[in-house]
Parts: sequence; structure tokens; C-alpha cells
Amino acid sequence: MKIYDCVPGLEFDESVDFAISPCWFQDATHSVPPWTPMFGWFWINFCRHGMQYGAELLSLPTVKGWDWRFKDGAGYLALLIVKDPNERKAREERFRVAIKPFIEDFGGMWQGFVGEMVGRYEKLKALDLDEATNIQLLNNFEETINTCRRMWEIHMYMMYGVYTAFVLFEQMTKQLLGIDDTSPQFHKLTSGFDNKSFQVDKGLFDLAKKAQAMGLKDVFLSTSASNMRNALKPSQKGQEFLKVFDDFMEKEAGWRMERMAEINVPTWLEDPAPALNVIKMGLEKGIDYNLDEARKKLEAERIAAEKEVLEKIAPEQKSWFKMILKLAQNSAWFSEEHNHYLDLYTHAMIRRSALGLGKRFVKAGTIDNPEDIFFIIPDEVRQAGINPDMFNLRPLINRRKADWQGWCERGSAPMFMKEGFSIEEAMKGLVESLDPIALKVVVGTMPVARPGLKADLFGVCGSPGVIEGKVKVVWSESELSKIEKGDILVAPTTSPSWTPVFSLLGGVIVDRGASLSHAAIVGREFGIPVVMNTFEGTKILKDGMTVRLDANMGAIYILNK
Amino acid sequence: MDLKEIYWLDELSKEHNDIVGKKCANLGELVKLGLRVPYGFALSVKAYETFMEQTGLKEKVVQIVEKETKAGLDVDKDIDKMIEMSANIREAIEGYDMPPDLARQIGSYYTELQRKVGIADVPCAVRSSGAVSMPGQMETYLNVKGESEIIKHVQKVWGSAFTTRAIVFRIQNNMPISWAPIGVAVIMMIEARSAGVILTVLPTIGDLDRAIVEGNFGLGESVVSGEITPDSFVVHKHEMNIESRSVAAKTKMVVYSDAGTTVEEVPLEFRTAPCVDDKEILEIVRVAKDVEKHFGNPQDMEWAVDKRFGFPENIFWVQARGAKYTKKDARKDEEYVIDLMLQLFRR
Repeated sequence: MKIYDCVPGLEFDESVDFAISPCWFQDATHSVPPWTPMFGWFWINFCRHGMQYGAELLSLPTVKGWDWRFKDGAGYLALLIVKDPNERKAREERFRVAIKPFIEDFGGMWQGFVGEMVGRYEKLKALDLDEATNIQLLNNFEETINTCRRMWEIHMYMMYGVYTAFVLFEQMTKQLLGIDDTSPQFHKLTSGFDNKSFQVDKGLFDLAKKAQAMGLKDVFLSTSASNMRNALKPSQKGQEFLKVFDDFMEKEAGWRMERMAEINVPTWLEDPAPALNVIKMGLEKGIDYNLDEARKKLEAERIAAEKEVLEKIAPEQKSWFKMILKLAQNSAWFSEEHNHYLDLYTHAMIRRSALGLGKRFVKAGTIDNPEDIFFIIPDEVRQAGINPDMFNLRPLINRRKADWQGWCERGSAPMFMKEGFSIEEAMKGLVESLDPIALKVVVGTMPVARPGLKADLFGVCGSPGVIEGKVKVVWSESELSKIEKGDILVAPTTSPSWTPVFSLLGGVIVDRGASLSHAAIVGREFGIPVVMNTFEGTKILKDGMTVRLDANMGAIYILNK
Repeated sequence: MDLKEIYWLDELSKEHNDIVGKKCANLGELVKLGLRVPYGFALSVKAYETFMEQTGLKEKVVQIVEKETKAGLDVDKDIDKMIEMSANIREAIEGYDMPPDLARQIGSYYTELQRKVGIADVPCAVRSSGAVSMPGQMETYLNVKGESEIIKHVQKVWGSAFTTRAIVFRIQNNMPISWAPIGVAVIMMIEARSAGVILTVLPTIGDLDRAIVEGNFGLGESVVSGEITPDSFVVHKHEMNIESRSVAAKTKMVVYSDAGTTVEEVPLEFRTAPCVDDKEILEIVRVAKDVEKHFGNPQDMEWAVDKRFGFPENIFWVQARGAKYTKKDARKDEEYVIDLMLQLFRR
């Protein structure tokens, strides 16, 4: 039987793709470990679409978004750079008009999009997957595909617009104040904003307090998170608590997964163990962390920093500087909040809809396991959508699964480069694209080694502060439970579902990151020091080490070598 | 950089700040922008060093200072000692003959200056030009004419680094007392028929399409200080037409006197006449627009019309800096922010 491409038309093929770009970078943040075929299909098609849609709607003068390819379970990207000066000029004219809504009413725009997306999610969720007909299930899946495409359109349109403003703010602070996005004062200016992601975290903290007040602390401490439901059920208090907890999962926190860019792990709604574990950790390690107070403190610091900075700005420059400051502050909270309403929620919807079909396929004897559906792509789902009992998708699934296991074992290439092309040239191309997302999320600022400091490791400041603590190297969410209060988290990067743990942390060190990546934004909101772009943190630092983290200088000292 | 003892203003730029002082370096920057600034030259700190070394004054000043400070010096109590020290040092610096080579150099620059200006014994302002502003170093001598007078006044400016105030300042700031190199600017005096300012923006409403020219007879001080109501002309920067004129009744003007400046009555027959004619106004706007374009932001500039020269050689510039103004409304800010964003994509 012929096996088709996972992402038809967009599989990496060096015989043609090097003509588009001599270098294709792997999106290591999202596609390591390798994606399942179905998720790869969604990401490659629609993230690609969304970036080109966003860049076109805004008419970014220098870049038309990114092109994406799929290879061995990973995503590879290349920037679509506008080379013709006349075309750039024409795009500039359109940009003038297109960017206006971002300046005039960013909050209103975003609320509109949130409303649109939540409306779509509610409609998708309204279908009872167990009771639905095959046709209804297939329609639900088609609507989910449309929802994902729409999500990426909003995502990238908003992100391009708001990050352009952020890059401008960074430029202006450099020119007018002599500080850049690695300076503590810069971070103070962009911290202290509430957002939906934090409200969810706060909800979990409140639940921990509630459990304590209801006298359930002992049950939590003596039970593993996976067995918590059973342990709580027998008592009336326990049932009361579960009711509040389930309601919170259904309405607020349940539509997220540990890995933001995948669909093959359960949502918190399906398996609330990670959420219960956060509550357990809160009870175990003490919930003296008060998010509201911390937020207030950051807000006060921000207002003080704003005042200090505005005094240095010439009177005639104040009003437009304030405008740019406001726009940059939007990027900070948008960066976190969009994860909740866009990526996490949509991916949970894909999982929900696909699993609905998966279960039906198992019932009809088409496949063996509902989750096997993640190994086929929408075209193949459609083959069996209306009459699953007439088809056998196992041969397809088996071969795809074998491929996927191979990708997982072998790993994927960090980039594809045309012969004779150098990494320096490739990085130069990224910078020259002036693509705000490439600059602020992918590349970041390179660390400067300061030999005078005699530090063991250098990175750049993602959130200011100085702290000492024990190193805990964490590669995945399952290892988060080893975190004790005051520890220094060392990780390749952090994910939105790790956010609650930040309240326990003394500081964070990540291999890669820029001023708008998760670790930096959340670190700033929790007021803990973060050093990013150390590249080798997870290699050099080991559990048991004690380090001093001087984020202001981007320096890390191992105290017990 | 190989240091010279004397520079023409048009050889200077910001990088020369430390060797000829801010004032001269700034004028050099204006020349670089193509502006006509009063002609002149600058003696660098190296000239001062040469003077002090070749005359043996370097050591002599040290001796004077040591003599007075041997028993310790209390800034608050020993004021008489410092006054005496100041007088002794200044007398010494002013009393020595300029070393022949340096005197020859100053002479040849002054000769060339007379040729450039086209006026024999052209009167000059001789003033200090410090790299950092320091109290007591503000000596300015106006209307200095002729080679020997120029040389004499250069020495006076050098001596001015040893006024009592300057000495006290250096003691209080832990700076050496006996070594105080400063630059000296020798710049032709403008014989200002009229002078004033131009802003390439209407400052109260932030209108970037228009410029405003304000002026009075005499020197620009009366306009800059805001003490009189000047003539005022609004010019549309793109159309280059004078949209409004307000000619004030100008009763007073500032003119040079031997001891500095003084306020004089404007002759009756001139009081209600415009201080600049239309073609001068448009020339002032044209030049200012170029400077605005160069720096990318609206400019606040000072101009003077010299009565000795014909148009357009009569228009001189003495200052250019970013203008302070307020924006008209949120829309203007928005357009400006968008302009800035577009700049990002042009790096």
C-alpha cells in the first residue's frame, strides 16, 4: 500500500526547497520531541498559513511571514523576505493604515477575537461526542480544522502587530534611555499586568487554600495525585471540594495540556492529576505565596519605573513615548494570555474532536485504540468518517506509528543547510528579515561573557534580581514535583503549564529564550530572576549544585564546585 | 589623532570636544551641516600646553601653588591666600611673551581669517571653550582687533582658568590646582543688523508642516531671552510661502559694547519695520529645513543677519538643537509612532 506524506505538499524536499531558502531552521521550541503526524499536519499547514496571513494583513514591509516544512516529525522554517525595494515601499504605505487598530484599540481588538474564539469553542463543545451521529462527528472535526486555521490567523496577525510595537519600544528605550530588553528597569516597565493565564494559576492556589480550610490537607499529603479523586470521594467534604474543582476545570483550567504544541497527552479535564498535583504541592510546600500581593507590588514597581523613566524623556517626546510604552506593555500580557485562549484551547479542541472520532472508529472496528487517530491525517480521517465500519485504517496507522517511533528514537536535524552555506549567513538572514517574531522569540539576545565577573555561565537577563539556591534540572512536567521552595529551575525552555511552579522557585535558568518567551514573562510577573540564552545551562548545571544567579549581570556562579 | 595647536572651525566635530572644548566642537558640527557659522579658529589644549612648557610657566605655577599650599589650604578660611595665588598666576600667564612659533601660528590664522572675511583687522570675540563647563572659566573678550591684541587676549583667557572661583572649584572637587588646560575660540564678531530664532515646528500646537521665524534688530539675546515681543513670521515648510506676519513695535535691542552687550533704543524710524525681508525669511527656513532633515526631528536654531555682507552671505548661524514642542493631538502622535515603526523595517 502506498503511504502518503504526513503534510502533503509541505514535506521537506531538498531538491526543490533550497531554491526557496538555503537554510531551514528547526522549530526546536515546539517540535522536539517529534510531533505525531496529525498534529504536524495541523501545525505546518496552519501556523504557516497564519504567519503569511498576519504578515499580509499588516503588510509588513520586509517579510511575508514564514514558509514551513515537515520532516521526521519536526517543523522547519524559512523566512519569506521582501527583496524588491519598490515592493517594500508599497507595503510600507499599506502598513501605515493596517497598524492603526493596534495603536488605537489593542484591548478592544483582542477582546473581539477572544469572543470569536470562545464562541467557536463553545459551539464545538456543545456536541455530545458519544451521542452524535457519524456525520455530526465528522462535521465537528471539519469545524475544528477551520477553528485551528482561524486561531492561527488571529494568533499571528496579533503577534506580528504587537511585537512590532515591542521592538520599537526596545529601540526607543535604547536611544532615549540607554537601556535594552536585558535591563532590569526595562522589565519593570513591562511587568505587573493581570492576564487569563495568571487567573487560572490563582484559581489553583485558591483551591489549595480551600482544601486546607476544609480540613483536606492530610488527604492531599498522603495521596498521590493520580489517586486523589478516589481518596476524596468517600467524605462529604471531599465531594464538595471535587465539585468546585471539576467546575473550575470545566470552565477555566481544563482545556490545556502539558505540552502546548501537541495533542497526544491528556487535557487537565481528562486527567486532572497535574492540576491536583499543583494543589498538593501548594499544600506540601506552603502556600504563603500571594499572587495578588505580588501583582500589586510589581504594579507599584512598574508605576515607579514609569515615573522615573518619563522624567528622563524630554517634554515634547513624552506623549508619543507613553503611547509606545503602552503598546509594549500590551505585548507583555498578550504573550502570556494568548497561550490560554489560542494555542492551548484550540489544541485541546483538536484532541477532543479527534478522540470523539477515534472512539467511534474503535467501536466500528476501524482502528484498535482511540489515540491511534493521531497517527493519521485529516484526509485519511475523512476516508472512514461517515462509514467507519467499511474501512480498515490499521495498515496506515501501523506504518505511520513505526515511522513516528523511528523519529522519536533518532531525533531530528537542527537545520537543513544547502552545501556551502554557513550558519553565520543563515543567522544574518534571520536578523536582516527584521521579522519581529524571529527577533524576539527565535533569536533573542546573545549573551556577552564578562570575564571580570569570573562567573561559570553567562546568559542574558530575562527578569531582574539576584538569588542563591539549589539547582533542579527539569526536562519535562513530570519532573516538576522535585522542586522545593527556593530552588533554581534549570531547563531547556519552560512551558505555560509549568507556570504555577514559578511561585515556588527562587530563580530560573533556560538554555534558550528571548524577552518575550514564557520563562522571561512569567519570571517577571512572579518577581524572580531569570537568565536566558545560556545555551549550555542544562549541560553544565546538575542537581545538587548550589548557584548564585545574578540575572542583572546575566551571570551564574556555581558555589559548591 | 595627531593634535594640532590651532584648528579652523570647519576642521572640528564632536570628537574634538576634549581638545578644543564644546563650544568650538559644536560650531564645527554646524559647519559640517553646511551652515554658515561666523568664521574663526580654535586654540586646542595642546596650544596651552606648549605655551606653559616653553615659557617655563608650568613649573612656575606649580611653585606658586606649592608656596601657598605648603601650610595647607582651607577653602573657607584662606580666601586671601587664594586671591593672592590667583592674582600671581594670572599676572604671570598674561605677562610672559607668547613663544615665537605659537605667536607666528596665531598670526597666520588671523591673517587668513581677515582674508576669508574680507575685512582688515576683523574684530573678534576671544572666549574660553572648556571640555567641561567649569565655574569661573567664562571669560569672553569682545571686539578684539589686530594680531597683538588677539594674542594678548588668548593669554588672558588661559589666565582665566586661575580665577579665584576656578581655583576654589578645583580644590573642592579634588582636581589639580596648577594644571587647567582650556581651549580658546577666536571668532569674528557678527555685526548684527538683526537676529533671532527659527523653530521648524509650531511649538504650541506641534504643527510639523510649519516653521516660525522670530527676530529683532541687533543681537539675538533679546529674542532668546523673551524680554521683548519680536517680529514673528509663520512659513509653510512645503509650500514655502509666508502665511502670517506679525511685525511688532520694537523699542529695545541688544548690541555689543566693549564690555559685553548693552541694551539700546531702536531708532524711531525702524521700530515698526520688519527686521528681516521676505527673501531672508525664506532662506532661513530653507537652511533650517535641511538641518531638520539631517537630524530627523524639528530644530530650534539661532540666526543673525550681518549688515556688512550681501544676501545670502549675510545669514549666519550660531546654534542648532532639537526643538521642544507639544504635539497637537493623539492623531499626530499616532502618525509619528507609525513613522517610527516604519523606520524599524528600514534598518
